[in-house]
Amino acid sequence: MKGLAKKDLLSVLEGWRGLYSVLAPLRREQGDIVVDRLDSDRFTLEFGKPSLSPKGILLPQSEVTFNVEEGAYRETPAKGATLLFGVRSCDAMAILQSASFMTRDKEDIYYRSRFEDLAIVVMACEGPQNETCFCTTASTGPWLRRGFDLQFYDLGDLFFVETGSERGAELSSGEQFIDITDSEILRKIEDFREKAAAAIPVVHEVKQSMTMLQDDGVGDDFWNRFGSKCIVCGGCAFVCPTCTCFNVYDQVRGEGSGQRIRTWDACLFGGFTREASGHNPRGSQALRLKRRHEHKLRYFNETDIQEALCGCVGCGRCSDYCPVHIGTLEVARAIVQSK
Amino acid sequence: MGTTAENIYQLRPVSIVRSLPQIKEHRLFQLKLEDGGTWDAFGHQPGQFVEVSIFGVGEAPISISSPPTRSEHLELCVRRAGSVTNALFDLEKGAAIHIRGPYGRGFPLDVLRGKKLLLVAGGLGLAPLRSLLLYVLDRRSEFDEIILMYGTNNPENVLFKYELLSFYDRDDIRYLYSVDRDEEGIWKQYVGVVTGLFDRTALSPQETYAVLCGPPIMYRFVLERLLKLGFPKEHIYMSLERMMKCGVGKCGHCAIGDKYCCTDGPVFPYREIELIKEAI
Repeated sequence: MKGLAKKDLLSVLEGWRGLYSVLAPLRREQGDIVVDRLDSDRFTLEFGKPSLSPKGILLPQSEVTFNVEEGAYRETPAKGATLLFGVRSCDAMAILQSASFMTRDKEDIYYRSRFEDLAIVVMACEGPQNETCFCTTASTGPWLRRGFDLQFYDLGDLFFVETGSERGAELSSGEQFIDITDSEILRKIEDFREKAAAAIPVVHEVKQSMTMLQDDGVGDDFWNRFGSKCIVCGGCAFVCPTCTCFNVYDQVRGEGSGQRIRTWDACLFGGFTREASGHNPRGSQALRLKRRHEHKLRYFNETDIQEALCGCVGCGRCSDYCPVHIGTLEVARAIVQSK
Repeated sequence: MGTTAENIYQLRPVSIVRSLPQIKEHRLFQLKLEDGGTWDAFGHQPGQFVEVSIFGVGEAPISISSPPTRSEHLELCVRRAGSVTNALFDLEKGAAIHIRGPYGRGFPLDVLRGKKLLLVAGGLGLAPLRSLLLYVLDRRSEFDEIILMYGTNNPENVLFKYELLSFYDRDDIRYLYSVDRDEEGIWKQYVGVVTGLFDRTALSPQETYAVLCGPPIMYRFVLERLLKLGFPKEHIYMSLERMMKCGVGKCGHCAIGDKYCCTDGPVFPYREIELIKEAI
């Protein structure tokens, strides 16, 4: 177990830049928070829950998979190693779950190489970041039990630093990191964890709705009601840390040359399942919303890392940003009410 | 990144050897590998598919119509429907394109071997089913009785006409063809939907395995009929179609419940999908 004085944090982050491209929460001029290449002047620890999940680090919103020249497809080269500082436990769990999906069976090498080259430094939450957080329901927070390289706990002037891997041990081997043996501090960590977990109420409706979905106990009327409200913006899928569906298209530069590109896609869009014949197995917005929520709460293709729900990590962003209030929390509560 | 061989999206160059007109807006494309490989080594199973790629237009999943027992060319029977197939139709003989594959779970040869088979195809559903049909005919002694039921909407839309006619010369396959409508009055066989063919031949459901491929509407009626006749659910297999992008279970477009049509299918045992509402 290690400790790091808060005043030394920035120099540690700057030091890590020798080996990694360091991504950290920054406050931009307009006041919004982004996670981007470390800029010491803009770095902030008051970052709450960033609007965008970190999934774009591994699955960029738009990514060139092949450069095409004279009809030959050339794989785009890998970029270097990345360190993600300050990721919340729910988002880190989403990365781990998505990695299990993207690398299972047939490996997506674009995702895998970025995942292998990613150092994950979690910042444990000392309570909910806002009213939509439900990580204690999803068992993904407020801190991680495994899967991180380092995990920071903010104890005021000092960070308690938990090591989760060999890479983490190397990262925390610098002289700024002090060994902690003081039982007083270890007690403080237990206290931090207990208080944090207690401050984030379990949303029982989420688990109840999962059981109802499993039993096919949610009728068409229910989805029709939400389907007629959905404005088909796809925002829920884009802010969701575990939505990894993508579209593929070609950008042509000249005869037989250009780029093959993949971009985020969303199952909320009609064209997502529409076949060339015009037939669409999910022909209504109601069916598409049902699909999205069943993929979050019923059908999972990810591997569980720590007895967590899979598919939904409880970050609450869909509830934060859906303009017409069709987030997972609203849907789960409405499912239970519809009983 | 990994080596090129590891990249599941890496394409292989092929050329179009022939583009044979079938019926209106349908062609049979014969492909040749242009990277030195052979179709034997390609090693597809009946019922699998490839992603066909035309740069600048995109990729589309196309089922393989030829059996692995005929490995001179890979054959794709294609309907001109979307942007990739439209571009494919505009290409000349010899044109260079790319493919990836073979992908997906094909027909369960190990289950079917030694059994009586009932193949039910509707419309372009014959394209993937043909890979199985020709496979079992090429290895005829490995299979028991074979019955083919094939329905199209009208006599002009019968695919692989000459192959179907050639069965006339053999006594080791029973075949029943139907058309939904016959406005010209030229059809010599059954007029009506494909399920009508079930009244015109004797079946032994307990010993027969049914393999279906056709439009979504066909499945509902044929399934109903099979179950009524007493086919055990375990004896029914079907090939499903979905919009696909990657073909390798990552892009999410072809999801059916917790399954992916591209990797868990396209051929599914009925048992696996009967409870998934959006499957059929």
